[in-house]
Amino acid sequence: MINFYSYKNKSYLASSILIILTVIIIFFKGLNLGIDFKGGLNFEVRSNLSNDQILNVFQDINRDREIIVKKEIGSDVYTIRIETGDDNASFIEEIIQIIKDHPEMEVLISEYIEPTFSDELIKNSLYAMASSLLVIAFYIWIRFDWQFAASGIFALLHDVFIAIGFMSLFNIEFNLTMIAALLLIAGYSINDTIVLFDRLRTITSDEDNKDTFSDNVNKSIKLNLRRTILTSFTTILALICLVILAPVNLTEMPIVFIFGVCIGTYSSLFLALGIVGDFNYEAVLRARDS
Amino acid sequence: MTFLKQWRFWLSLLLVGFCFYFIQPNFNSKNSDFKINFGLDIQGGYSYLLELNENEFKQNLLIKTIQVLENSYSLQSEIFEDQIYVPSGQNIEDLNNMVVQSLGLEVVDRSDDGIYLGILEQSFNQSLSEMTLNAVEIVRSRVDFLGNKELSIQKVGLNKILLEIPGDLDNNVKDVISKTAKLTLHIEKRTLVNSKVFLNEETGEEVRVQEIPNLTGDYIQDASLQYNQNEPVVAFSFNKEGSDLFAKMTSENVGSRFAIVLDGGLITAPVIREAITGGSGQISGNFTNESANNLAIILKSGSLPTEIKIIQEKQVGPTLGREGVQKGIYASLIALIAITLFMIAYYKVSGLFTTLTIVSCLGLLFAFMTLLNTTLTLPGVIGIVLTIGMCVDANVLVFERIRENFKNSTENPKHEGFNSAYVTILDSNLTTLFAAIFLFAFGFGPIRGFSISLIIGIISSLIVTYVILKFFINVTSEKYLGLNK
Repeated sequence: MINFYSYKNKSYLASSILIILTVIIIFFKGLNLGIDFKGGLNFEVRSNLSNDQILNVFQDINRDREIIVKKEIGSDVYTIRIETGDDNASFIEEIIQIIKDHPEMEVLISEYIEPTFSDELIKNSLYAMASSLLVIAFYIWIRFDWQFAASGIFALLHDVFIAIGFMSLFNIEFNLTMIAALLLIAGYSINDTIVLFDRLRTITSDEDNKDTFSDNVNKSIKLNLRRTILTSFTTILALICLVILAPVNLTEMPIVFIFGVCIGTYSSLFLALGIVGDFNYEAVLRARDS
Repeated sequence: MTFLKQWRFWLSLLLVGFCFYFIQPNFNSKNSDFKINFGLDIQGGYSYLLELNENEFKQNLLIKTIQVLENSYSLQSEIFEDQIYVPSGQNIEDLNNMVVQSLGLEVVDRSDDGIYLGILEQSFNQSLSEMTLNAVEIVRSRVDFLGNKELSIQKVGLNKILLEIPGDLDNNVKDVISKTAKLTLHIEKRTLVNSKVFLNEETGEEVRVQEIPNLTGDYIQDASLQYNQNEPVVAFSFNKEGSDLFAKMTSENVGSRFAIVLDGGLITAPVIREAITGGSGQISGNFTNESANNLAIILKSGSLPTEIKIIQEKQVGPTLGREGVQKGIYASLIALIAITLFMIAYYKVSGLFTTLTIVSCLGLLFAFMTLLNTTLTLPGVIGIVLTIGMCVDANVLVFERIRENFKNSTENPKHEGFNSAYVTILDSNLTTLFAAIFLFAFGFGPIRGFSISLIIGIISSLIVTYVILKFFINVTSEKYLGLNK
């Protein structure tokens, strides 16, 4: 039997390294913000041209404004993102005209977001995420104990933050859909964690149980290990189908989510219950027994 | 035939019937009130997010308040930044707290010089929100007049309007929605006092007129595109009140010019040759058929309360969405088959139950979505995939618990196992459910699309697990269930 609880400190170290790496990556590479959070123009075009040929199409426009052309994995679809800045009506007209003049690029999606509105979207997404985190914490606190709530939220933030690092590392565009992906990871991670919490609660509430806290944690994990592996496996199976067959502009989302499932499984198995232990939950249990 | 005695059996039948009954309208071509709508990212189309100018609205509200103070309380006041300053030396005692509150104001500062009043945030937000609802109707009628029938339009936040038009774009839409359409008529004035020059940038025509309008477009009842000597013109007619004002204005100023001003720009400034008493008139100016028609439409639907700005614009071609859905369906089918094969290989007969549970979960999900007229978007499809994942997880949890009970030779292993697993499932799913509800309430766009299918999905999954999966487990003998090893 694997003694999961004894790996506690090693996994703290591993997670700390991952978190520090994420901070470094985000600090140096930054986030590849999409127009949802930066404002500007975004086009998805289908074309036989090469990346450079598409960039050439826009060579006459103002170079101060950033233009990014990116080919979507495994398709002939390109994403073209153009920074517009404020007060830009004529600039936008110019771009739209250029695109119209090049029929070899079939426009699938065109989108414009006013920079002031994107600021609002950032705020809005943060509110949405913060409020749902609070609800999660509150629910766990009511159903379990505050130690579980704190640990669950920590594990969840850990997973989401490292997933953001993953996106930064592979230059995956950060937009509203990706916020949905991160929430998906949060949902999955908390789901996994709560199943383990629930098991630990059941085991420790048994009055005949005189085992140490560490044994109880190991027992909870061991009893749930099959379920954790099975569920992660079937979820990843479904996600691989999505990666292969997703609509071109959504391939990145399942990839990020597969990463999230892996990191979420890791944090439930190695972090969540360890943190509960570090809050000296053993003492709480002992006080309850006597 | 013992299964006939189980309430779960009859409830399962009822659920299946419910699914069929509500999903079937989606496949009928005839119009039904209950249908799943497809988001623009799936069916292709155009969406605009419009924002009304909050500052302009605030200024208008302040001006209105000053008029109320003057008319109802005989108090002179002026606008000072975004407050109202009522100087002392008049009956400012009348402005007690009750009066101030009833006007939706609050006292910011009270000194010997006078009172500074600010607009209460709550009442400001309320009027802002009412104004936006009003603007929604105006925008709706404008786009309606252009002949776009399937548009969806809704108020978002306090001062935003989301307009979605499926299918191909009518190029006039943008033109028609973004014009404030404040039409004013001004009589020519030759002195410099209280006068203002308006200019038509295209023709270079300009005229000095009285600054305060003699008549506004608010009195216009109808407007249409007509032809005068083969030139397109906009014919309009005033309502009764407007007709009287127009007749008075024209009869008093025969021989002068009057300016027709739209959103601060001069359209034309004809000479009044005789009093116009019929309450109707024509605007001619360098119109094309299209521009005359657009002007008629915006005059007819009334002016927007403030300037409007397009802050988000999205156009999705029809091919991408169709491909997306097709691929999404293939992906789901292949995922379902892969999961089924895996679960059967691992759990034998019980694995088959998982597939049946997933299928009925999806059925229930789509039935609920139809019933609620939900809009399905691509992020929504991803929410559905997550639902499948949670449904499989629920099955695995139940099976593993039962298997464990068999191993420990617990009494009544199936029943006990299901019940203890269901507590776990409830805890984990409810956490996600509450989070999803808050996301839906605070989120925007893709986040909402994702959370709505997640909310409905979790509820469906909880129901089918409790009713259908439990039914299958109950009626299958332990020997065949495949969990007793």
